[in-house]
Amino acid sequence: MSYFFQLLVSGIVVGSVYALAALGFVLIYKASRVINFAHGHFIAIGAFTAYALATSLGLSVWIAAALALAFTAIVGYFTERIFLKPLVGQPIISVIMVTIGLASVFGGLIHMTPYGSGNFSLPDFLPEGGVSFAGISVSYPQLLAVVFTGVFLAAFGWFFQRSTVGIAMRAVADDQMASMSLGVSVEKVFALAWAAAGVTAAAAGLIVGAISGLNLEGLVGIGLKVFPVVILGGLDSIPGAVVGGIIIGILENLAAGYLDAYIPGGGTGDVFPFLVLLLVLWFKPHGLFGTEEIERV
Amino acid sequence: MRNPWTRTGNYKTSYAQDTTIFATYSEQASLVVFLVGMLVLPRFLVRGDMQILDLILIYALAVLGLNIITGYAGLINIGHAAFMGVGAYTAALVAPHLPFWAVLPVSGLVAAMAGAVVGIPALRIKHLYLAIATLAFQLIFEWAVGHSPALEQGGAMAMPRVVFLGYKVGFKNHHYFWYYVTFVVLVLMAFAFRNLLRTRFGRSLVAVRDNDRAADAMGMDPGRTKVFAFALGAFYAGVAGALYAYWSRAVVIEDYSLMISIKFLAMAIVGGLGTLVGSFFGPAFLELLDINMETFSYAIKEIYNPPGVDVGSAIRPLAFGLAIVLFLIFEPRGLANWWRLLRSYFRNWPFKY
Repeated sequence: MSYFFQLLVSGIVVGSVYALAALGFVLIYKASRVINFAHGHFIAIGAFTAYALATSLGLSVWIAAALALAFTAIVGYFTERIFLKPLVGQPIISVIMVTIGLASVFGGLIHMTPYGSGNFSLPDFLPEGGVSFAGISVSYPQLLAVVFTGVFLAAFGWFFQRSTVGIAMRAVADDQMASMSLGVSVEKVFALAWAAAGVTAAAAGLIVGAISGLNLEGLVGIGLKVFPVVILGGLDSIPGAVVGGIIIGILENLAAGYLDAYIPGGGTGDVFPFLVLLLVLWFKPHGLFGTEEIERV
Repeated sequence: MRNPWTRTGNYKTSYAQDTTIFATYSEQASLVVFLVGMLVLPRFLVRGDMQILDLILIYALAVLGLNIITGYAGLINIGHAAFMGVGAYTAALVAPHLPFWAVLPVSGLVAAMAGAVVGIPALRIKHLYLAIATLAFQLIFEWAVGHSPALEQGGAMAMPRVVFLGYKVGFKNHHYFWYYVTFVVLVLMAFAFRNLLRTRFGRSLVAVRDNDRAADAMGMDPGRTKVFAFALGAFYAGVAGALYAYWSRAVVIEDYSLMISIKFLAMAIVGGLGTLVGSFFGPAFLELLDINMETFSYAIKEIYNPPGVDVGSAIRPLAFGLAIVLFLIFEPRGLANWWRLLRSYFRNWPFKY
């Protein structure tokens, strides 16, 4: 039984990373109906910026992390301004393809730096060891990941419920026409959504760095794992992103823990989320919390 | 008096004349010249060039299939390389038992079945959701192949040597032989592609793309049309996959990965979605760009080559991504639109109008 709970705990940790990553993804989708295939690269940009600042400039990890969050927000903001804005009103395929193209561009740019290949780990900033409870051990980085995610989600929750900008963003997601007529700048909201997505993506990348180390392929892979998460939770639901992230994280760990033994080569955890994705699409396409679109001719 | 060689006015008196593909003799003549040119082209190319040309033609075949799914039917498909992979693995499994000309349609049919299965969610979901479903199929396909001992777990599965009418295909004539095979297959399937839009099924594809509920109201069956679109597009991909397997002499999972699916989408977009010529321009443009960027990266290495950086593996995705983004922003109709502009300029040449 303790094996099960151990898997559950590590699933929650991984799931909180997915939840953060998916949060940014959903923010972009909610505001501008864009599916961002470059999200994994935002995660990588955030993580490697922090790593570069911490190692080459010798900044403390906390300051480097804060700067990385800001930098990725700026990248997100200008990505929207430069590349997505000209495509407003174009067919979906154009918008999807432009984010795929951007993913390729970002990938190329990261490969231009020494961080394109190999593994990196952030300098140690937490004490060794961890907490042990009833036979289940949780390391400090893992604990930090969950706490950090919780704080982040609470901050975003406050932002959307209380701040003027957050309310404007919700208004745009609800009805663009109506919010425009009330004086909300829809363009600005789109760009802000991308900036906020950059922040959450960078935060996800930093947590991965704290738990398991940095590797471009792994970080970009999280960008793909976001898809099962958001489909399960509902593409346009922020609570859905969080719940879906945790569920997918747990399922992935349980699948890896119990099924790998029966499958030659293992790696069940990598594919299981996508099986879940297909099942959800077949039986409940709008996920747990997504709004069902009702179409009229 | 009507001049049958150029368009001098509108002389169409029947529906058949209006839907004809070749309006003038000069269009037919230029097609014949082009085909003959393609047939004699290998005489002037060395082995390395042939290899690239083969690759472009095989990719063009796959992109034709993608253009049926994404261009005509409007279903975004991020799993096209997996269809191609299904064809390639079928080819690897049946090639020892069948002659190659039978392997190609068999691979196509198996891929078509896979396509129909992937298309089933299209009965229920569309747009972004369907795109994500095809993405999931691509990833599950890669994983499944990587875990099948029967398929060498994604490692190299060798293709047998081909003997055709007593003619042994070996190292020297390999690329020439497969060039002609690919060319014949491509001409036939391009012909089918061009005529598809003139059939009942082709019309319903476009109707369903433009408005599936209206198409439904007019008596078409959007669900069935979408599933058939997937099957047909996957058939093209399957044949392309079998050709690719023969051409590269082995089937490796890397050749059918998500990266390649994205490449196909990019080729379709850069060429011009839903166009025949675009299916050729797209692969040609992106493959040549890739090769040139590889050469270009050597030049960059002279100036910028810090330790730990592989400029070659950086500059290629960079150029690829920039090509997609710039085309989408500045020429969303793709290279096919340039071709159209060029043709309309020369239509009445040398006269102004």
